[in-house]
Amino acid sequence: MVVLRAGLCPGLTEEMIQVLRANSVRTVVDFVSSDLEDVSQKCSLSYKALVAVRRVLLAQFSAFPANGADLYEELKSSTAILPTGSPSLDQLLDSGLYTGEVTELMGTPGSGKTQVCLSIAASVSLGLKQHVLFLDSTGGFTASRLYQMLRAQAEDEEEQLEALQRIQVARVFDVYEMLSALQEVRDRLSQQAVSCTGPLKTVVIDSVSAVIHPLLGGRQSEGLAIMMQLARELKMLAKEFSLAVVVTNQVTRDSSTGLLKPALGRSWSFVPSTRVLLESKGAAWEEATTRRSASLAKSPRQPTGMQVELDIGNSDVQEPSPATPTEGL
Amino acid sequence: MQRAVGSLPLGPALRARLAAAGFQTAQELLDTGPCGLSREIGISKEEALEALQVVRQECSGDAAKTAGGAGTTRKCTALELLEEEQAQGFIITFCSALDNILGGGVQLTKITEVCGAPGVGKTQLCMQLAVDVQIPECFGGVCGEAVFIDTEGSFMVDRAADIAAACVQHCRLIAEAHQEEDHQKALETFSLESILSHIYYFRCRDYIELLAQVYLLPDFLSEHSKVRLVVIDGIAFPFRHDFEDLSLRTRLLNGLAQQLIIIANDHKSAVVLTNQMTTRIGQSQSTLVPALGESWGHAATVRLIFHWDKSQRLATLYKSPSQKESTIPYTITPHGFRDVQPPAVTQNTESTEMNPRKRPRREEEK
Repeated sequence: MVVLRAGLCPGLTEEMIQVLRANSVRTVVDFVSSDLEDVSQKCSLSYKALVAVRRVLLAQFSAFPANGADLYEELKSSTAILPTGSPSLDQLLDSGLYTGEVTELMGTPGSGKTQVCLSIAASVSLGLKQHVLFLDSTGGFTASRLYQMLRAQAEDEEEQLEALQRIQVARVFDVYEMLSALQEVRDRLSQQAVSCTGPLKTVVIDSVSAVIHPLLGGRQSEGLAIMMQLARELKMLAKEFSLAVVVTNQVTRDSSTGLLKPALGRSWSFVPSTRVLLESKGAAWEEATTRRSASLAKSPRQPTGMQVELDIGNSDVQEPSPATPTEGL
Repeated sequence: MQRAVGSLPLGPALRARLAAAGFQTAQELLDTGPCGLSREIGISKEEALEALQVVRQECSGDAAKTAGGAGTTRKCTALELLEEEQAQGFIITFCSALDNILGGGVQLTKITEVCGAPGVGKTQLCMQLAVDVQIPECFGGVCGEAVFIDTEGSFMVDRAADIAAACVQHCRLIAEAHQEEDHQKALETFSLESILSHIYYFRCRDYIELLAQVYLLPDFLSEHSKVRLVVIDGIAFPFRHDFEDLSLRTRLLNGLAQQLIIIANDHKSAVVLTNQMTTRIGQSQSTLVPALGESWGHAATVRLIFHWDKSQRLATLYKSPSQKESTIPYTITPHGFRDVQPPAVTQNTESTEMNPRKRPRREEEK
């Protein structure tokens, strides 16, 4: 609902707006849906002028229908599939992360969500030489672990350093900070500023539930509104600029059944198009293992319930290798 | 300035009115001006002015970032972060096995959670860390101060004095072995009195006091900028008794976690929390799991679980962004938190192992 303003279209002048407002026609929707003959009589404005203004407003503000074949052609040319750096995870996601979609990783604490995110960032930055934006809201981003992963994948130190420079990290601990960071990305991309970022193809958000969870619940519905605003921003970014958006979510325990379920509720479950659940292979914390299983909980392309095994061991999210601690005193 | 009105930090009633009046982007709000705004949505001029101030601040923050200005300190490339991390020190725990599995010690700018059954040594570790954070840089420490927030009343000053005395003794031995200038100079200021005077102690009796203390902590930390460690001993205790509304508890805890991570990040300090254990009753067996629920598990970046194995204390690294899961033994001596000595020497340490406050653990076999 856009408010009628003077500069909105050529025929709309300030006096017209005042007169319309006096007759309670304040927004574009009011204008377009009202009976113009009636309005022209009450406001004593020319009927032709009103019809002209309405035509311009409709052209400006209505959505354009597109034909399925055109849409398909457009998708074929604009969608890219980004490999995650782990062949089994790629297999789960139908060959990789699709741009234009939101993919979600969920799991219990310690199940490897941050590791998979780091691996995705490393693979996109090193393998595809594309820029990655990493929004960290939990403080779990460890650059030394990322460096370890890069060192395992590429031998050349120059390449590793360049790959590190292509990953932009922003620490946002509040939902408004996250929204303003996303807005900033949108502004930069729409201005086509290729200055310091370069071609941005992936946005990784770890984790989205850490900033939204404190707002949900209780009697206030404001938390839900903010969550949906964030969802809209993410989907718009993904669709308009052909980005692959990866988010991580927590799991909570369902109070009635005692089973684990993804956090943020049913409303959020419609936002990502693909959902992957990460679980630890060991039963409890007594068994220390680096093996994890990833199962597909929601996907537009693959059958749900597919499961693969990952190893979030030392070098990579895939290959097990002997353990060596990174930094010692 | 095409920021949607719904994404601005305004109150919900104001936001609802703006949406009803048809405002969609922040630019429209700024164009209308305070008088127009107060007329349109029927609020007072002062409220309109305040709202526009907030909007202007948000949007100018955005503009500065877009223009590449040094507006935020929190955005950088991974390479810069790597350099920062490599230059950052760790807070050592005097138990080299534990330092190894943590990757060097307790990391700054991260939240570390220590869970364990009663009497296993969580408070001992906290007191050890509060002393260790003050070790001067030439001995390998971070030379910072500590904030100790106690909710259970388990901080014993005489025990902390013992630990501090042992630490000073240890550093003195190192200085004598190396005979360097800066070691001697550092030792002059590193004494028992100075260590104890740089541990800022707060006692919180219930969850409201704890929440208030954490809200006030950023101001305290900006005055005392040398603080590098914030310990909250017993974050579970005030939240576990007398709390009827569990969803409120989850919300408060999550909000608390976000506050703590902001503190850890902005002031470059480590936050250490201790948690209790609870029993999860499954179909066939029951397991000991950390308390405060599933969603609290996501709050801490690094999670250590302390447990017993017959009469040996073990520490398991359960969750860490950069280290593998592993388990090591440790022990608590009169000097504080230490490694397990090889068997020949254990005869003496076992008898003096017990923390005077907790009742000694009875062994079944002997």
